[in-house]
Amino acid sequence: MAQLTVNNQPMEFRLEPDTPLLWALRDAANLTGTKYGCGSGECGACTVIIDGQAMPSCTLSLGEAEGRSVTTIEGLSPDRSHPVQQALVSEQAIQCGFCTPGLVMTAAALLARNANPTDADIAAAVTNICRCGTYPRITQAIQRAGRILRGEERGVPLPAPQTATTPGL
Amino acid sequence: MRLTRRGLLIGAGAGGGLLLAFRLVPRHYASPLVARDGADAGERVFDSFIRLARNGDVSVAVPFCEMGQGIATLAAQIVAVEMGADWKRVGVEPAPVSPVYGDAVLAARWARLWLPLAPSLADRPGDVLARLHAEREPLQITAEGTALAAFEAPLRDAAAAVRAVLAQAAAAQWGVGWETLDARGHAVTDGKRQIAFEKLIPAAAGFDPPDPPVLRPEPPREKPGAFPEGARPAFPRLDLPPKVDGSFVFAGDVRLPGMVHAAIAMGPQGDSVLASYDRKAAADIKGLVGVVRAKRWLAAAGTTWHAADKALKAMDPRFKAAGRIADSSALETRIDTALHKGTPRRILAEGDPDALLARPSLDVRYDVEPGTHAPLETATCTARLEEGRLELWLATQAPELARRAAARAAGVALRDVVLYPLHAGGSFDARLDVRIASQAAAIAKAIGRPVQLMWSRWQESLGSYPRTPVSAQLSAAMSPDKQRLLGWRARLALPATAIEWGTRLLGETSMPRAKAAAQGKPDPMACEGALPLYGIPEKAVDHIPVDLPLPTGRLRGGAHGYTAFIVESFVDECAHFAGAEPLSFRVGMLSGQPRLVACLQGVARMAMWGGGADASGQGIACWKLDLEASEGPRSGFIAVVATARQDNGAIRVDQLSAYADIGRIVNVDIARQQIEGGLLFGLAHAIGGSTAYASGLPLAARLSQLGLPLLADCPKVDVAFADSTEQPFDPGELGMVATAPAIANALFSATGARLRRLPLLSEGF
Repeated sequence: MAQLTVNNQPMEFRLEPDTPLLWALRDAANLTGTKYGCGSGECGACTVIIDGQAMPSCTLSLGEAEGRSVTTIEGLSPDRSHPVQQALVSEQAIQCGFCTPGLVMTAAALLARNANPTDADIAAAVTNICRCGTYPRITQAIQRAGRILRGEERGVPLPAPQTATTPGL
Repeated sequence: MRLTRRGLLIGAGAGGGLLLAFRLVPRHYASPLVARDGADAGERVFDSFIRLARNGDVSVAVPFCEMGQGIATLAAQIVAVEMGADWKRVGVEPAPVSPVYGDAVLAARWARLWLPLAPSLADRPGDVLARLHAEREPLQITAEGTALAAFEAPLRDAAAAVRAVLAQAAAAQWGVGWETLDARGHAVTDGKRQIAFEKLIPAAAGFDPPDPPVLRPEPPREKPGAFPEGARPAFPRLDLPPKVDGSFVFAGDVRLPGMVHAAIAMGPQGDSVLASYDRKAAADIKGLVGVVRAKRWLAAAGTTWHAADKALKAMDPRFKAAGRIADSSALETRIDTALHKGTPRRILAEGDPDALLARPSLDVRYDVEPGTHAPLETATCTARLEEGRLELWLATQAPELARRAAARAAGVALRDVVLYPLHAGGSFDARLDVRIASQAAAIAKAIGRPVQLMWSRWQESLGSYPRTPVSAQLSAAMSPDKQRLLGWRARLALPATAIEWGTRLLGETSMPRAKAAAQGKPDPMACEGALPLYGIPEKAVDHIPVDLPLPTGRLRGGAHGYTAFIVESFVDECAHFAGAEPLSFRVGMLSGQPRLVACLQGVARMAMWGGGADASGQGIACWKLDLEASEGPRSGFIAVVATARQDNGAIRVDQLSAYADIGRIVNVDIARQQIEGGLLFGLAHAIGGSTAYASGLPLAARLSQLGLPLLADCPKVDVAFADSTEQPFDPGELGMVATAPAIANALFSATGARLRRLPLLSEGF
């Protein structure tokens, strides 16, 4: 049993304490936006924000997450309105989209502590792996998100999220 | 529903909408789907391209696997432009497997793989055999960038038919000839008045579209000059908003009532079978639901994936060799022996360089190590078997072959297998492999519950079939004044890899059988690109087939992924041997290739090419890819300049510039994404993306061991396109192929060391 706060909701997981947070989120809490890519904290696809810090959820056990406050991609904004989300879409810095949720969380945590990062700050903070090759656009998108956050540029509203539909269901 | 002579069906769809489908002419095929119940009651499923709902929303059925390449958006854009639809009201849906989506262009491209004895009977898309094969199989496979060549015309025909009946409905109201009307912004207009599509739908269903369809004078085209880098796209990608908030459903995000999660352990790479495991060791693991064993794998199912994985590890499955197991030292010995002592088979030649090459001016060896796909999403499939009906949620490039594999594994009739195509989290051709579908089906059957099988990263690295290793002996004969290339021979030692993966995939056979079928065969597809485009009087390509214990598969770029590296590096060596500037040396041998020369000149301007001399760290390479389409061959061209240096024993690439000619461009920003992404994929495989094997186990199994570039390693990337009206060519593979040689040539410029092994880091540089 582990009690923690997920997206501002208190949650109790009836799982073994050695279960990585990633699988508790995905398979018990049904928060599937957080992706499995490597299981060893290298790729960043499973990045969530824990007490303000972006970290991989695949190498943190439920026991270690006890009492902490976790924000997943589902809890970042209700309507895709976070500046990072707006900027990634408007720069088309996404291809297959599998690394994107983790990348959004990494960039959001970076901007939360440094609203005006340099390219070097971005390169140091964003160690997420993207195999499609969107890196050049990611730097531009995070810079743009910073400008939106600082009020220097207008945001780009995205279509309101619809309930995710799965073919066949 | 009425039918035109060209086989388009049009008429009233569900709930008063409009539906455009294809009649399956002249043969009859059973529809793969039946109407679904519930919220959409009354809706019927057709093999359709376009659905127009009563409120005017357009849905385009996409018969391709979206892997990030933007093909779903392109298909929708082609329809939207031809219809005059408002982009905000256009959406996409995955198309089911159906003969109407049979890809004759791919059938022709792969004629050697399914008609090995007489491929020339079917190697053009217009050949009846290619068409028949594409429909009967049906050959609905996303690969080799055939989508536009195969489906742009039918998509336009379908959209034009819808526009025509809407215009006819408006014309009847206004009492004018429908040919005088246009459709723009989701409305039919005569220039002054307009009627919205949704108001015309009920009447439109009563009209017949003209046959043949009346197309707009111009196909969809965006001029690259109108969309400089950073410009707002006219047709933004449709799939990005749901991908940015985690709501986009990948195969691992499917949730079914009663579903369990499964993890799998496969044996060492090669011919291995399950020997033993300790079932009792998993007995106490909480959440374990069941254990399933098969000849080549062991799987555990649990209430979470972690529980399943933990149980699997606790059981400590052991495997034993049933045949040969992959081992890099054995691989290298075999390739080495073949290169020196094997019997070469001449694959392709213009003239005969052998006499000239009795005493070659240059004679060097190139080596390419196995290449791994390493998509970020590991292979995942969700399966449900209830009341004899098997449903699969899966991202696959070969949906029909996945259905068949699953049907065999579950012992279900093919007609009772439904596959719901999902987008892939990257593939690079890893998702041509359909084993995951049969594994998931077998586990679902054995456990008796819906199951979601997800390969761990270790399993993805262990079980995936990599791109083949290659060794090549390159020989050149220069004129006595050392200025001109007179003779060229590329002698490649590698397995008949295309025959091997083609047999495994299309022949639906096991890995050992496919290897046996390929053994000793000359394989032109595996050597594609090795005959240079350059005007060299005598040139030839020899293949020495090697039988390797390592199973091999296709990787983005195909054979060009290694032949471009070998050819463009060796041309650079010849230029330096001649004391010539590498760009003008190439251009001097490219008469009759104006589009490629324009790319070279274009990239030279962009990158401020200085000739690569004086340790500038600049290197250049160019390439051409071809595809036989129904109207004739289409080609794509690219030239790349890399700026690279050595930095504390590491390779640092500072800049990659590319100039590409991909003919008419449908969507400039998606094309730019593909070239940018291809350059970075090429960079990854220039410096990493490879593994050795020891006793069948990959030595680089973790992503961090593959040397993949991170954002901090990302060079400055510049991409420009030729403004062309030639037939469009898919940019997906083009961006990748010329990157590695450009970087190798840049490193030669920077350091004076010629790196002849891929990945370049493997020389201990």
